[in-house]
Amino acid sequence: MAAGGPSVFLLMVNGQVESAQFPEFDNLYCKYCFVYGQDWAPTAGLEEGISQITSKSRDACHALVWNFPIDITFKSTNPFGWPQIVLSVYGPDVFGNDVVRGYGAVHVPFSPGRHKRTIPMFVPESTSKLQKFTSWFMGRRPEYTDPKVVAQGEGREAQPS
Amino acid sequence: MAEVHVIGQIMGATGFSESSLFCKWGVHTGAAWKLLSGIREGQTQVDTPQVGDMAYWSHPIDLHFATKGLQGWPRLHLQVWSQDSFGRCQLAGYGFCHVPSSPGTHQLTCPTWRPLGSWREQLARAFVGGGPQLLHGDTIYSGADRYRLHTAAGGTVHLEIGLLLRHFDRYGVEC
Repeated sequence: MAAGGPSVFLLMVNGQVESAQFPEFDNLYCKYCFVYGQDWAPTAGLEEGISQITSKSRDACHALVWNFPIDITFKSTNPFGWPQIVLSVYGPDVFGNDVVRGYGAVHVPFSPGRHKRTIPMFVPESTSKLQKFTSWFMGRRPEYTDPKVVAQGEGREAQPS
Repeated sequence: MAEVHVIGQIMGATGFSESSLFCKWGVHTGAAWKLLSGIREGQTQVDTPQVGDMAYWSHPIDLHFATKGLQGWPRLHLQVWSQDSFGRCQLAGYGFCHVPSSPGTHQLTCPTWRPLGSWREQLARAFVGGGPQLLHGDTIYSGADRYRLHTAAGGTVHLEIGLLLRHFDRYGVEC
């Protein structure tokens, strides 16, 4: 027996980017976007967003709280290419330029219900010491032209982080 | 044909004595399995931990297999290497783990080992780097001929793997 044709299913994601721990940096904002395969399409909600700028709390845990809502519904016929949420965090450096402080990505959970995910963040690093100094001095860090690269597996060999 | 989706991440590694680490990974399956979409092997970026001692890769894995039989259930094999400031790579550990067989999200920890070699090779590794490596990668996930090796423990690789199974009930497999 064969199924009638591709069956469509919906995936509804709602939640928030709650907070972050960045021991060395302050006054950060974050951007989120979704990366998904060819068989997926968003039907409702926002695919990208930029949060407010937040400062560290005064108490012992030094949390950076955004409480930034995420609300999106996807339509798909195939679990391959399950959506990933890509987060990029930016903040000012010593000279006041806006530089990237971290990228991270995680798959949207598979099972219905309430989930909490903690995402480790990484930054690309220049390979030579002179380049590291120049980029610190000029405020131009190595940055991805398209943050969606963080959600893909290919081509990572060339990037130190 | 029954279908299996393996979707998850190689989160990172802890417990290695070296700090700038990257991981070469691959998924090995039996002859009855066919990869429909996804990339079966890859290499993560090199990560140097700034806070704490866990090197984070967050490398995504998204594979879609079709199979006619349960034999040769997918096995994920890993090679963790370290890269020093001169760009030289040194083996830090080999490991493998089976992809889970029940649907849902699983947190896996994969311990690693590295071949030791003779006392001369161990001394050379401590001073100059390098060290013995396996000639054939399939020894990582197969048990044949392992008795010849003398190995030492490496660190642990942490993975989060989610599994979705489809049409297994047509073949009489309950999951």
